[in-house]
Amino acid sequence: MDDDVITTLKLLIIGESGVGKSSLLLRFTEDTFDPDQAATIGVDFKVKTLSIDGNKAKLAIWDTAGQERFRTLTPSYYRGAQGVILVYDVTKRETFTRLENWLNELETYTTRNEIVKMLVGNKIDRDDPEVDRNEGLKFARKHSMLFIEASAKTKDGVQCAFEELVEKILQTPGLWESENQGQKVRLGDQEHDGGRACGGYCSIP
Amino acid sequence: MASFVTEVLASSGKLEKEDLSCKISKLSRKVEDTKEEVCEMINKKYNDFLPSLQGSEELMLQVDEVSKEMDVLTNCIETEVQQNVHVAVAEYAKLKQQLEKNTVIITMLGHLKEFHSAMEESNKALQDKKYVVAANQLQRAKATVDSLKSWKTSQLPLLSALSSELTMQRENLIYHLGDEWKRLVIWRLPSSKEPADLKSFLKVELNLSHSCSKDQEPGPPAVLCSVLQALAIQGDLQHKIKLFSQVLLKNMLKPLVMFPSLSVRVTEQQEKGTVLALQSLEESQEERSTPSQLIWEEISRCIIHECLLYSIPNNSSQLDKYSTVIKETEEFEKSLKEMEYLQGDSTDLLKYSQDVNCHFARKKCKDVIVAARKLMTSEMHNTVKITPDYKLRLPKLPAPASEQKVKQGSRKDEVTMENSKQLSAWSLCLPACRISESVQQLMELALNTLCEENLLKFPHLAAIQHNNCMYLAHHLLTLGHHFRAHLPPLISEGVSTFVDMCFLAQMHVQRAELLERLSTAHNFCNLDDEDNYIAANKAVRQVIHQLKQLGTVWQDVLPVGIYCKAMGNLLNTAITEVIAKIMMLEEGPLVFIPLAEENKNRKYQEEVPLYVRKWSTFKELVIVLRANLQEIVDRWADGKGPLAVEFSSSEVKNLIRALFQNTERRAVALTKIK
Repeated sequence: MDDDVITTLKLLIIGESGVGKSSLLLRFTEDTFDPDQAATIGVDFKVKTLSIDGNKAKLAIWDTAGQERFRTLTPSYYRGAQGVILVYDVTKRETFTRLENWLNELETYTTRNEIVKMLVGNKIDRDDPEVDRNEGLKFARKHSMLFIEASAKTKDGVQCAFEELVEKILQTPGLWESENQGQKVRLGDQEHDGGRACGGYCSIP
Repeated sequence: MASFVTEVLASSGKLEKEDLSCKISKLSRKVEDTKEEVCEMINKKYNDFLPSLQGSEELMLQVDEVSKEMDVLTNCIETEVQQNVHVAVAEYAKLKQQLEKNTVIITMLGHLKEFHSAMEESNKALQDKKYVVAANQLQRAKATVDSLKSWKTSQLPLLSALSSELTMQRENLIYHLGDEWKRLVIWRLPSSKEPADLKSFLKVELNLSHSCSKDQEPGPPAVLCSVLQALAIQGDLQHKIKLFSQVLLKNMLKPLVMFPSLSVRVTEQQEKGTVLALQSLEESQEERSTPSQLIWEEISRCIIHECLLYSIPNNSSQLDKYSTVIKETEEFEKSLKEMEYLQGDSTDLLKYSQDVNCHFARKKCKDVIVAARKLMTSEMHNTVKITPDYKLRLPKLPAPASEQKVKQGSRKDEVTMENSKQLSAWSLCLPACRISESVQQLMELALNTLCEENLLKFPHLAAIQHNNCMYLAHHLLTLGHHFRAHLPPLISEGVSTFVDMCFLAQMHVQRAELLERLSTAHNFCNLDDEDNYIAANKAVRQVIHQLKQLGTVWQDVLPVGIYCKAMGNLLNTAITEVIAKIMMLEEGPLVFIPLAEENKNRKYQEEVPLYVRKWSTFKELVIVLRANLQEIVDRWADGKGPLAVEFSSSEVKNLIRALFQNTERRAVALTKIK
């Protein structure tokens, strides 16, 4: 079954605390929703295989904690990420205005220049939004991001979000084909030589 | 025509021939020359060569001979001569030792002789009542004993015998001197039953007797002189004079001061000698002989110590009243001068009393130091809780006099100091923690001392107080640096202040203990075996217990930040060790139930990943130990999963091999880990 998987992609979900990152992930991977989802401590991780245009991709999805004090743990999460989902809560304006900070952090720590970014406005099932669709769209365009509004509760737009993101990644040359392509050259910043074997092995064509 | 051609040809041929023969003859000449030269050269080389060769051969032979001789000589030196030298050196050393010993013995004997003669002379002189001579001789004897003592090689019995003999003689001499003194200086005092009033003091009489002879010179009698001198030499004079002056003070001087109507009368009586008696003013004043200056020093010291010292006030209020004491002292000194008892320029008493401020401060300091010392040595475990809104009880500072006038005018518009740019009240706040009661008291004591009115008046003392505080603070901060070199490396990296040092030393101890407990776990291998399993189980439980205990003890005492850091550090040590041991395992099935799932303190559960560096590694490891092959592969996610962040591919493969049996599935899974 695994043989027709063409690649594994690393995706990140980031955003302010309480916007619904874990719920989106849960909905996507297990198609369930927990209204009492607890705040994530550190990071959560899930794997899911997705089919796009007949191509199977395995997704390694990292769901990070939004709380301020866990920010020190994040730099290692960004390493090698190929796609990132930025989430805000449409009913809380502050989570939208603080997106700039998240983009800054992303800019600082990402190791790939052409990382694909997707903006998701969550909780559209509620009827008291403070951020309307146009605003979100404008922001996304300004920062060259994909954009979608969704609701983890009603599952509206969730599948779509992930699919679009993966599609875009697969369409971006050099982002997923081989380990070494598209990587920014970083000298001596391997603080934890975790999973990387030496980059000199041959990639199987 | 033919002939012309032949002619031409013939002549040309001839020319050629001539030319050729010329050239050839030239060549042959040259060849001959060259032949000669070559011959000569060869001759020279080979003819001359042989003698020089011979010469060098002969030289070589000579050199060989000389070098042989050298070798022989060297051997000779090395063996014989050196030996002789050694022997000679040893001999000389022995002789030197002998000489030294002899010298020492001679010196010692000299000292003994000296001692003996000194003792004899002293005895003789004592019998002849030549006290000074006796005293001097005794000193001589003492000197010899001292120098004997300074050689540590002395035999104890001899020395102790000499010392005891010396002491005996000295006591003897002093006893005799005392007898003489008693004969010379006779007091007649009122009995203690009588009340200390004017009448009783009239009876007081001091009799300085001396044997009278017609041509006795005026002045202190010779015997008295010699007695005093001898006492001085023996070092006993001070004592005697002190006693004398005390009596004098009590019975003569004090009443003289207290009762202005008294005065001293000096008479010379034939048998009795000089008599000083107190009399009331009606009788005339005679000229008096004053005791020597030596006694005055003693007396003034006596007065100071016995009277004035006790008059130093205990606290600031009495300080004001002290001026009366100063005045009285002045009067006393003046009257002494009037009596020509005292020289005009001697003002010891007055000076002392005027320095009262100095003495007062000194006394105060002594009191404070005693209180501080008591605090410092008191128990540390009586604690008191400091919360962020705790304020040190500052005693009210008295307003300086100049400011008070201003304040009275501007009562209404008291400007408050606050403005919007001030630091918040929470800045520089000590976090909630516990401190020893004694420290709190010490702090308050310091502040109280600072704020005492008197200290504010003395800029000198205030400056010193400032320096005292800075000194303490400086050393608390820098002691850590001084000791850095002596501390084990783990601690010395983090130590910068004295405070760190204490706490970090404890941390070090705790860390060592944790590691020791874990080392008893037999490296967690072969947990099938029941013994190993029990040992491993026990070790981990002990670690958990230790951490729990520490947590409870420190939780309320340390400020939150430090508590988290300290506990985090220790927990990190423990799990790093566990991880390391597990990673070292090799092939073989492994049954491991991670006991350390419990968090050490529920309250700070969320802080764990922040303060314990290896926590995520540990968590991943726990997941792997409990997961199946597929889950592990998923978690690795081709190097993009969290497992890949914490472990290398080889480490993960090792774990898989250790955890799962060698099957097809395992092999497939292993290929996916890269």
